[in-house]
This record gives sequence, structure tokens and C-alpha cells, in this order.
Amino acid sequence: MARDWQPDFERLVDEHQSMVFSLAWRMTGDRGLAEEITQDVFLELDGHMHRIESPQHALFWLRRVAMSRAADALRRRRVRGVDLWVEIEENHGTSLEERPSPLGARLEQLITTLPEPQRAALVLRYQEDLTPEEIADTLESPLATVKSNLQRGLKLLRAKAESNLKDYLRPGRALGGA
Amino acid sequence: MPEMDEFENALQQAFLRRPAPPGLRQRILEQRNRRRSDQIRRRVVFWQRLAACLVLAVVIGGLATWRHVTQQRRGETARAEVLTALRITNHALDQIHSRLTARDRETGERP
Repeated sequence: MARDWQPDFERLVDEHQSMVFSLAWRMTGDRGLAEEITQDVFLELDGHMHRIESPQHALFWLRRVAMSRAADALRRRRVRGVDLWVEIEENHGTSLEERPSPLGARLEQLITTLPEPQRAALVLRYQEDLTPEEIADTLESPLATVKSNLQRGLKLLRAKAESNLKDYLRPGRALGGA
Repeated sequence: MPEMDEFENALQQAFLRRPAPPGLRQRILEQRNRRRSDQIRRRVVFWQRLAACLVLAVVIGGLATWRHVTQQRRGETARAEVLTALRITNHALDQIHSRLTARDRETGERP
């Protein structure tokens, strides 16, 4: 059966490079590595174009592969003992418009201190605005695990923010939440 | 999911997608083209090797057939020569037999 939608590689790159790059950067904390991962993910997509059935499928596939490749890269780095999260803090190689607000930068830095499963769940939740069910599908994890990672990650991040981001927060306002 | 509080809103703001680095798209497309060229080159090399193997197989097969046919022809020639030799011998024996019979008749002797 012929498909109505035909994937256009260049258009998919245009539409989703920012998403893949941001996921990879926030997961690895390394801009150069994130660029490599983004290239690899799109080259892998090129080999799977015949299996992509719709724009939603392409988006889902890219998110899943980007998270998977970022996790692989983290694992390889951990084996090599490289210290992560330097570049996010120092913003090496970023243009002015790429740089987040100081609070944003600090939050990004703090999230990098979370365990990887919690970080992955939070990045997909707050960058991609996915529901826990969608996150579970993307990460191929049980829903209960994803919910638990989201709650624990958010709680941990909130606690870290309370002690680290006092300067950025309005005095007298707590960071909310349960 | 419950409503987002102030912290989660701040988190969502902080986690807006970052623009991809300039030139990343170009690099991806270049790498894709390079990979495709490599694939085409590999495919060409594969077909060239396959063609070379086929040519080699045809040459070896041809040589084997030629050798077989040549041997068969030699065999046939040898067989024909043997038959000719036998015919000549037979003819010579016939002549000798005729002469002996004629001499016996002339002398009137019986063996």
C-alpha cells in the first residue's frame, strides 16, 4: 500500500536538528559530543527512511534514538573516566543567542548532577513536554519507573535548587511543589 | 500530570530547545553525501570483483574444456592411427596369404 507521506531527509533535519541537539547536549553536557551524536542520529535516520511512516513517527524515532545514543555516549565516557558537565557551565563555543538566562544555565547545570534515568525523564518532560506515558514509550521503560524517576528527580532538583540558586530566586518565595 | 508550580515553570523555561549550531545541517548533509558516495564506491568495487571472478571462472572453465576437447581429439586420432595400422597390416597379411596360395598352386604341393 502506498503511503501518503514521503519523508524528506533535509526537511527532517531542518525541523528536528535543534531538538536532537538539545536532548544530546542536556544528556551529555558536552557540546562537541552533542554535535557528534546529532550527526550520528540523522545519519542513522537516513538509513531508516524507508521505515518512517509519518511525521509523528519521525519525531518519536529521533527522540528515542537521540536518548539512546546519548546514553551510549555517557556510558563510553564513564568507562574512559572523562569528567562531564564542564562545557555547559563554561558555555564554550556558544553564541550569545544560544546562551540561556543565568537561572536557566544554573538549572541546566544542576540537572546534570542528577542520576541519568532521572535526568532523561526530566529532560523529556520539560524540554519536549512529554507525558509520562510518552516518556515511557520513548525510553522503553515501565511507566511506574518513569513516574518514579520524574518524582525523585524533581524532588532532588528542587532540593539542590533551594540550596544553590538562592541568588536567582525572589526572596521570600519557596520553590513550590508538594 | 498535576498543574505545574513555579519551579516547574522555571524548569520548562530553562529547558527550551537550543538552536542547533550553525553549519550542523551542512555537516550532516555532507556526511550523508560522503557516506552515499562510499556506498556507491563499495557497490562498484563489489560488482567489479564479481565480474573479475566471473571472467576468471569463464577462463578457467574454457581452459579445462579446451584441454578436455584436445585430449579427446588426440585419443580419436590415436584410435584412427591404430585402425589404419591394423588395416595396413591386414592388407599386407592378405597379400602374403595370396602369394603363398599362388605359389602352392604353381608347385602343386599341398601343405
